[in-house]
Amino acid sequence: MSGPVLAAVLAQAAPLAACLTILIGLRARPRAAAGLATLSLVVALGATAYLVVVVAVPNVHWVAQTTWLPVADGPALAFGVFFDPLAATMSFVVAFITLAVMVYSLGYMAGDPGFARYFGFLALFAWAMLGLVLASNLLQVLVFWELVGLASFLLIGFWFEQSAPAAAARKAFLMTRAGDVGFLLGVLLLIRALGNATIPDVIAAAGPAGIFSPRFTATVAILLLMGVIGKSAQGPLFTWLPDAMEGPTPVSALLHSATMVAAGVFLVARLHGFFAAAPEVMRGLLWLALVTALATATMAMVAEDIKRVLAYSTISQLGYMLMALAAGSVTAGFFHLTTHAGFKALLFLASGIFIHHAHSNEMRVIATKQPRSQRAGVIGLVSGSLALAGVIPFSGYFSKEAVLATLGHNAGTAALALAYLGAGLTAYYTFRMVWLTIPVGAVGAVVTAHHEPSGGDRAMAASVLVLSALTLVLGYLGGWLAARLGHEGVEHGPFAFGAGPLVALALVAAGIALAWVEFGRRGAARAGFAERVPALRDFFGDNWYLDRLYGATLVRWGTALSRAARWHDHTVLDGASDGVASGTVWGGRILARVQGGYVQAYVAVAISLIAALGVWLVRRGGLP
Amino acid sequence: MTVASYLFVAACLFGIGLYGLLQRRSLVAMLIALELMLAAVSINVVALTTLAGRDGSLGQVVALILVGVAASEAAIALSLFVAIHRARHNIDVEQLSELTG
Repeated sequence: MSGPVLAAVLAQAAPLAACLTILIGLRARPRAAAGLATLSLVVALGATAYLVVVVAVPNVHWVAQTTWLPVADGPALAFGVFFDPLAATMSFVVAFITLAVMVYSLGYMAGDPGFARYFGFLALFAWAMLGLVLASNLLQVLVFWELVGLASFLLIGFWFEQSAPAAAARKAFLMTRAGDVGFLLGVLLLIRALGNATIPDVIAAAGPAGIFSPRFTATVAILLLMGVIGKSAQGPLFTWLPDAMEGPTPVSALLHSATMVAAGVFLVARLHGFFAAAPEVMRGLLWLALVTALATATMAMVAEDIKRVLAYSTISQLGYMLMALAAGSVTAGFFHLTTHAGFKALLFLASGIFIHHAHSNEMRVIATKQPRSQRAGVIGLVSGSLALAGVIPFSGYFSKEAVLATLGHNAGTAALALAYLGAGLTAYYTFRMVWLTIPVGAVGAVVTAHHEPSGGDRAMAASVLVLSALTLVLGYLGGWLAARLGHEGVEHGPFAFGAGPLVALALVAAGIALAWVEFGRRGAARAGFAERVPALRDFFGDNWYLDRLYGATLVRWGTALSRAARWHDHTVLDGASDGVASGTVWGGRILARVQGGYVQAYVAVAISLIAALGVWLVRRGGLP
Repeated sequence: MTVASYLFVAACLFGIGLYGLLQRRSLVAMLIALELMLAAVSINVVALTTLAGRDGSLGQVVALILVGVAASEAAIALSLFVAIHRARHNIDVEQLSELTG
């Protein structure tokens, strides 16, 4: 094995080894478990950094595969590693964010009875995501895809002894699984057509000189996108993500930035050559993502829970990434994924500091508990919000600008206008969150509680401050990324000012100004325009009633089907086996009476039978 | 005397023996009844050999063997009865019902 391939394998092996060691042997030793998990991520970070350096040449990629399942009369199924600049960068982002979240968790989760288990699951998450990013064929991607789902299920339901996290974990698992049915079918179709589903082969087969018919490509693209929609919380399948906030806050940071939801977007970027061969499907994806982005932005405008605001904003930003990919630019979509990973992890970790301090997720409650005393939290929340809203010179500005430029280039005026509207809404709900959480004037009673910073607090603050600094740096990586991924023909660099950036900045400024008038300034009403209309507030706050719709239709049908299945199981299947068992017992009781233990009764029976036999033999005229 | 009269005597003996075997509760009495049934069989063997037109001595030899078998059977059975009596102090067959199903 060559060095880069070895590094790619090492990046996956280290978290896996840590996960197994912790879950098998270190459950009772939390400090050792946390240390081992963090160490494994340091190793993975080093390995992926090496990968980024190695592939710093445009359009280079490495494939190393070995046979896994030789099939008689057919090509062998293989597994291995495949990476190009896209996968290498993504793996570095995954390792970096996971490491930051782990360091933060040292403080946030300190004293939790499941501390060791928590770090084992985090290592599992990192392994699954790195495996997904570096996988060489789609069957392998599917395996890690499901492992990512499993890890998020375990972490969302980390406090499984409470009913809400357990229900949220179930919902997340089932909803993403619903989409994965399509993903599985798509992969199976590809394997049937190609014999295996190695990623470069799939892309080549869908190209102009490939063997796939446009119709086949479109079918498989739709099936794969079903999995993407479930995983990346788009369209009708997004309602699991706000509920997933029941997990520990650092888990939300991980789930929302570099793992889980990013998996769907990453897959579209990875198979972009394949999806680009189905332009109508991409057009549908563009509009689905656009509607999702706008709809969830309205939901974020009325949410009261700081983590739910962030969750809706994640769905909205994922919509932007998918829009850029659907409009044809891997660079813009992936650039936004990278910057978003940085600032969304930052926002969650910063909000976690407030939540840790105030013991509440409600923004209006946090506001009464002296949020300004949490310096690192304030710095993180403000810089993350500036990046999310897209204020120059924070990272979100550059990537969102790249997305909008791509849309302006390839997607038509209507889509571009709606995307601009979404950018304005983003700025509005982001700063509504900031000013609701950290009011300008003092709100409520002032409680003076002197709090000596502990080692755990320092770990949390360090993670947040590093990520805050990154929001100022990541934006300038657009050119670097474009040089390595750039084969899409969108020349619009992050610094090319035209009319577009000014429109976006004006809308962002308008959004922030509206938020200032309604929430920020002294004597503000602290209630937004949408919150003042009860019908709108209920509609937005209730996920556009989608959950109720599902409850009235799918959930009810599913429950009815389950009831019928339970009846069949209990009455028909169990009844049959119970009947056989009780029939045997009953028959045994009857027959046991024959064995009375009285010798003379036996003799009587024996002689009667012999006599009967004799009579029978005489009547039929002798022995046969 | 015809063969039928021998068979009639044998049938009577067999019936008496069967009645005793089923009716008496003492193991010794049951054994005696069993010997009666065996004797009936011996008579049948001797009589029926003659009826079949064979040499009469063949049946008599079989009857002698049966006497020997009956003697050894009685010896084994009586020794078992003694053992049972030692263990339980009675030989009432109705009390020996541990092996119920």
